[in-house]
Amino acid sequence: MPFDDLLRELDERNQRALGMGGPEKLAQRKAEGVLNARERIERLFDPGSFIESGRHAVSNRPEDKATTPADGKVAGFGRINGREVAVMSNDFTVKGASSATINIRKLKHIKGVARKRGIPAIFLGESSGARMPDVMGADSIGSKDDPFEYQRLRESPWAAAALGYCFGSSAWYTSMADFCVFRKGAIVAVSSPRLISMAIGRKIDAEELGGWRVHSEVSGIADQVVDSDEQAIDAVKQFLSYLPSNHTEPPPEYPVPEGSGDGMADVLSLIPESPNQVYDVRKIIRCVVDSDSMFEIKARYGKSVVTALARLDGKSVGIIANNPLHRGGAIGADECQKVQNFFVMCDSYNVPIVMLVDQPGFLIGPEGEQRGITGKVMNWLNAMSLVTVPKLSIVLRKSYGLAVSSMGAGGNADEVACWVTAEVSFMKPDFGARVVFGADPEKDPQKYQEAVAKMSKGTSAYDMAAIYTAQDVIDPRDTRDWLIRMLEVHRSRLTGGVGQHLMRTWPTTF
Amino acid sequence: MARIEVKSEITGTVWQIKSKVGDTVEADDVLIVIESMKMEIPVITEDGGVVKEILVSEKDPVAEGQVVAILEA
Repeated sequence: MPFDDLLRELDERNQRALGMGGPEKLAQRKAEGVLNARERIERLFDPGSFIESGRHAVSNRPEDKATTPADGKVAGFGRINGREVAVMSNDFTVKGASSATINIRKLKHIKGVARKRGIPAIFLGESSGARMPDVMGADSIGSKDDPFEYQRLRESPWAAAALGYCFGSSAWYTSMADFCVFRKGAIVAVSSPRLISMAIGRKIDAEELGGWRVHSEVSGIADQVVDSDEQAIDAVKQFLSYLPSNHTEPPPEYPVPEGSGDGMADVLSLIPESPNQVYDVRKIIRCVVDSDSMFEIKARYGKSVVTALARLDGKSVGIIANNPLHRGGAIGADECQKVQNFFVMCDSYNVPIVMLVDQPGFLIGPEGEQRGITGKVMNWLNAMSLVTVPKLSIVLRKSYGLAVSSMGAGGNADEVACWVTAEVSFMKPDFGARVVFGADPEKDPQKYQEAVAKMSKGTSAYDMAAIYTAQDVIDPRDTRDWLIRMLEVHRSRLTGGVGQHLMRTWPTTF
Repeated sequence: MARIEVKSEITGTVWQIKSKVGDTVEADDVLIVIESMKMEIPVITEDGGVVKEILVSEKDPVAEGQVVAILEA
């Protein structure tokens, strides 16, 4: 055959690249139950849809050329449910997927294509950081000429998975993405525990430094936590299913699963009759949205507010719901940051917002003040004023204080409905009785009861509806129908379902 | 065996103890109920395990973040 030698060489080179860091390292991963960089890509994309970019790229240092297939970062494009997506999958078996001149060039290309062509970018993180000695010295780290390397304007969604040690670039991209899933055992940190231990002269435990608990409960970087690589990749796919390919499109629509809304008839049984008792609002969300469509974000962080992507009548919505199960629903500093983050994401990708309200106000006390809660409350309200996608709000039970506005009343949502159980005021009537009338329930029970009665006046759903600050009072069982109908009314027809993305430059990690 | 600290999310008063040493509990079980802001607010475990210690009694004041029970998983 003509060109036999050349074709044989291509074949050999392909095999070498696909062999990654060699059979020994790959076998070790397999034994540990961890997927390799190429298996992860295979799991991610529709079968046969992956097209690689940079398979023959290797280190630019002559002594490393033979040992750096794909230069440690496998890049390319593929389809998820038929939609085009760009990917960067770190190959830890090749020099710990460390960052160096050539793979940084690959990364830049992948991000650039995602931006220019309007497709999501996925970062499968597992890297040891900058490659030594490649990045040493002024000629390397000092000579970078890419001021936009870490700029994010949210032209298209980014999703990331932390799938092992993520230092350096994998830490940056998991932190910058719109969604980050953590596989248990993954560590995200600026530097490795070994380097940090050397620097500070104290042994540092990797999990304590940047494990899943730190990032899902304290830093808020991790949006979900799963047990395996497979689950992490499936979570990335599910996340993207709620979002458009880019900011110029509305999110995709899906058929409505059978049984959706069937639970609405029993929704009243999910709420305790006594206002002193709490419940888990996630049960109500599951009841209202399309069957099995609830995808919770940051479930372990700022738990008194639930944020979740979901579908109503096959269309994507972002749910923001107070959860009385945690701290009675009192909103703290973490909750403020969580909601701000969620506003940015929903508004950037044209996802309408649904708020479910049952909150006693912002959490008062020294803990919040030390975290700067006053500023964070203002960030929430400022963000809310910049949201240009439709916003609907339903007051389920209590809503007190400035947070009444934060959760959609006061003109902050396009439509507000109250359940018959709603109660809206500045503070809980019994606290008001004590603060305003100085009534002590033990010393003078009669005066106290009279004061409570006075403070409870004008707080009902009908009081809200009478002054048209709530647009309707509804039977809780009609919640799903009301939301679906109102979302249809408020569809952004003039812009084809696309918002203005005024917060596309807002940072969302904190 | 991992030692798991279960913390109160809120400042308040212990109203009810719902579990005792030796109980096997599952994730999302209520161990203790705190009264705060005139509401009954549960202390829920995120992990399953065996209750090793209950560190508070009924009517005790608790602070936000205070460890109220220890589990072993």
